[in-house]
Amino acid sequence: MAVFSPALVVCLHRLRFGLARPHVIIGLALGVLLALLVVAPMLQLVVTTLTWSDEDLRAHPDAEPGAPTAFHWRRVFSSEISRNVLYVPLANSLVTALGASAVALAVGGLLAWLVVRTDVLGRTWLQTLGVVPYVLPSWTIALVWLILFRSPRAGAGVGLVESATGAPPPDWLAYGPLPIVVVLGLHYFPFAFLLLAAAMRSLDASLEESGEVLGARGGTILRRITVPLLLPALLSAFILTFSKALGTFGTPYLLGLPVRYFTLSTMIYAHIVSRAAAGGYILALVLIVISALTVHANQRAIGARRSFVTITGRGMRTRIRPLGPWRAPAAAFAWGVIAIAVVVPLGLLLWNSLMRYPDDYSLRNLTAHFWIGRSDPAIADGEAGILRNRPILGAAFNSLRLSVATAVLTGVAGLAVGLAVVRGRGTLLAKMVEQVSFLPYLVPSIAFGAVYLAVFLRSWGPLPALYGTFALLVLTCTVKNLPFASRSGIAALMQVSGELEEASAVLGAGLWLRVRRILVPLVASGLLSGVLLAFISTMRELSLIILLITPATRTLTTMTFRYTEQGLPQFANAIIVLLIALILVGELLARRLEARAATAPRERGDRL
Amino acid sequence: MRNLHGWAGLVIAVLAAAVVPGRSPVLAQPAPPPATQEWLKAARLGPYVEPRFDAAALYEQARREGAVTVYSYSSRIHAIGGTFEKQYPGIKVNAFDLDGAEIITKVLAEQRARNYQADLIFLPEVATVKHQLMPRWMVFNYVPPDLVTKIPRQYREPLLARHFSFRVVFYNNERYASPPVNNLWDLTRPEWKGRVMLPDPLKIPEYLSFLVTVVQRADEMAAAHQRKYGDLRLSPGIENAGYEWIRRLLANDLIIAPSTDEVTNAIGRPGQTAPPIGISAWSRMRDKVRRPTLRFEPVLAMEPVAAVSDLTILAIPAHAPHPAAAKLLIRWMMGDEKGGQGFEPFYIEGHLPTRTDVPPPPGMPMLYHLKVWDQDYDVIWKQSTKVREFWLRYLR
Repeated sequence: MAVFSPALVVCLHRLRFGLARPHVIIGLALGVLLALLVVAPMLQLVVTTLTWSDEDLRAHPDAEPGAPTAFHWRRVFSSEISRNVLYVPLANSLVTALGASAVALAVGGLLAWLVVRTDVLGRTWLQTLGVVPYVLPSWTIALVWLILFRSPRAGAGVGLVESATGAPPPDWLAYGPLPIVVVLGLHYFPFAFLLLAAAMRSLDASLEESGEVLGARGGTILRRITVPLLLPALLSAFILTFSKALGTFGTPYLLGLPVRYFTLSTMIYAHIVSRAAAGGYILALVLIVISALTVHANQRAIGARRSFVTITGRGMRTRIRPLGPWRAPAAAFAWGVIAIAVVVPLGLLLWNSLMRYPDDYSLRNLTAHFWIGRSDPAIADGEAGILRNRPILGAAFNSLRLSVATAVLTGVAGLAVGLAVVRGRGTLLAKMVEQVSFLPYLVPSIAFGAVYLAVFLRSWGPLPALYGTFALLVLTCTVKNLPFASRSGIAALMQVSGELEEASAVLGAGLWLRVRRILVPLVASGLLSGVLLAFISTMRELSLIILLITPATRTLTTMTFRYTEQGLPQFANAIIVLLIALILVGELLARRLEARAATAPRERGDRL
Repeated sequence: MRNLHGWAGLVIAVLAAAVVPGRSPVLAQPAPPPATQEWLKAARLGPYVEPRFDAAALYEQARREGAVTVYSYSSRIHAIGGTFEKQYPGIKVNAFDLDGAEIITKVLAEQRARNYQADLIFLPEVATVKHQLMPRWMVFNYVPPDLVTKIPRQYREPLLARHFSFRVVFYNNERYASPPVNNLWDLTRPEWKGRVMLPDPLKIPEYLSFLVTVVQRADEMAAAHQRKYGDLRLSPGIENAGYEWIRRLLANDLIIAPSTDEVTNAIGRPGQTAPPIGISAWSRMRDKVRRPTLRFEPVLAMEPVAAVSDLTILAIPAHAPHPAAAKLLIRWMMGDEKGGQGFEPFYIEGHLPTRTDVPPPPGMPMLYHLKVWDQDYDVIWKQSTKVREFWLRYLR
């Protein structure tokens, strides 16, 4: 027999084993996909802004479509219109996003403290309800604001405040920066609530008690001990809220247009619908740069200090502080927030969906037509109630299948990213996949939609133009939701030791078998939060898909927007209520699945 | 994340080569490409159109096609689809209501991707269809031969126009027994500050076109100012009376509305002491049927013009898969000499058919009784961008 050199054997073995390790193959595949789906579209967008388009021929007959030009950049950055197109909207975007973040952090932080550290009335209920505003579509609270404060300026009726007091509310209360800040803050506070509640739970009360023993006052303890320890959570909540508020389109448009208060996101929309796409893309790039800078600053802030470790091997406890005389005001605050952000919106939406005429709040004006009415030419252009209306039911079906498809795909993608990153930790490939998969988070939704519209309007080699297909919507939503899913995928896989997998590989289990029988059951419950988030955000997605939607792929949210525009708010309101009901049912089903997934592996383990 | 920039740079460098030369604009060509010629021949369109209208023969072909897909700017297309399906059983109407700009975007995308879905488009974006789609042979005109003598040439060439719509100034006729304004310059006066409404011209092209027409008619705007308020003094840097009017309108705290019915609903709401006035579509008069409490009327004694008209056209996109059904639906939508079922949802105050043998809808005066500016679609094509930039500049 020939004698093999031991080194050669080891080499061959490594090669075989390397290829047999799924994370290398998955990492390579992901690298290619991310380059195509994330990096290339961004590049295409940049190229478009530097090129003359067919549309430019209208005003510049000597322009040569396809030739390079700096015209669009000059137009946005240094022309007569720059002030109104870029600088003022930029300032407005920053003001509203910062204001909304401040409101969200204050409300969410206080609520988290009350729920975690005090004996406020109805803690468990608050805990559950505190997340619901995020489930509502972002412009729901904007619509509620209009229902309350609508003045003749926005037409189509009069708000409750004017109905009740007889005097129209002042413009600054009805439209512009203040309502945008409050509405976005109330919509996004669940981020701060969830993150800070989690951080407070793992904060050992003995640290604060040591401060007390040493004679520090309450304010000093808060400033020197509690807040610094919560800083990472605070900053994360800020980043999430700020970026979301920056990119959102529906609320600033509805509440800003009547007083000509434009933000970058509404200017992007105006540019793209008025066929000045290149200008819109440039504004989108500005938004992307701001988001990236914020995330970068956040990492610098956290990276500079390292002593945030609160979970140690030592036992710890949290302290429930009795509120004493403050119990009633605290409960009033907490339940007031829930009322304003959850109960009143849902109640008012339902009421408004039951009105024959939009501006009449009397009882005799109530009708179920917009829910179950048959087509009647005298009402609402002859449109039947939403539960009889085939286009609306079709849109509901589209919303559901889009969200479910996106959720499943992001789950798979999240698992793949997790595998590639965690198992290949330290390698170049792993780093690249981790970083690029986070890029979509930096791109505001409306800009992301604009990029995909620009890219998929045309065919790419054998790939046909995906514009107008359902697949494009799924693809867009999946890539946009990838950052959350990858985060939860990475986090879930970090907890699973590689030895389990290796053991099964030694026992001869193939790749598919290992993924199916070992990894998926172990990480399912960890992945679920990312999947659920993808489901919820896709169900109520508007900014991301408004430019990609076509009649056949119309979703509930785009129908709502259309009816609001058409002055049939009852339909819009009824559809939102339907949407929220569908989301809550979906969430409930997912939670039940989670409960089953959590018990199932354990049972199997017991049998082994 | 920390190394993000380095990595992104690398990936960008690798991909740049693949992406950058990707763009190839479709430019105007002197003749349709051979494939389109073939389709024209088969579809009997363009130079190959039938010399006379034979409804029975067309129905026979259309029934073999089985369906027709129409992109419409108005949701009223669903009602028309219903009557068409009753009249011509066996042909399914797939009707989609979209913004005009969305229709253009979709047709462009379908044509570029050679993924042909639409059989018929129905929209007011005449300038774009004429200047962007037609020169690239992406859209073709079809005039039912029996109607040629009943429609003036300018309304069937180069595109078949079905009806007129009108932008007019509305007022609340509960608060005001007679129109409180009679000159477009009144809208820029202090007494109407914060009380004039206009649908968003960045979003709804008809209102950008309205502004373009005002600029085009700058001399008449100046004369109207002269008649009521004396000589017009242009602000520094303002080119003409049309731009001056737009600038003053914006400076008068104009309220921009997201849609036309936001305007008429705000004006017409009963019980107001200081209702707004505003520009909207005359055809919004139909809302008063839907909500009888609304009180608004157009100002028809307006200087220098009572209404700016625009046309709504019907056209067949190239390579439409169901051309016979599209032709039959065009003929149906053109109606008969009494209006007709195919025209009916538009046979209302605020629209006029282009057919000269059809009387105006009830409540609608004859066109020659009105002071109307017709839009010039060549001017709109060339000037829209300039007016849009002007609008953006003075927006705040």
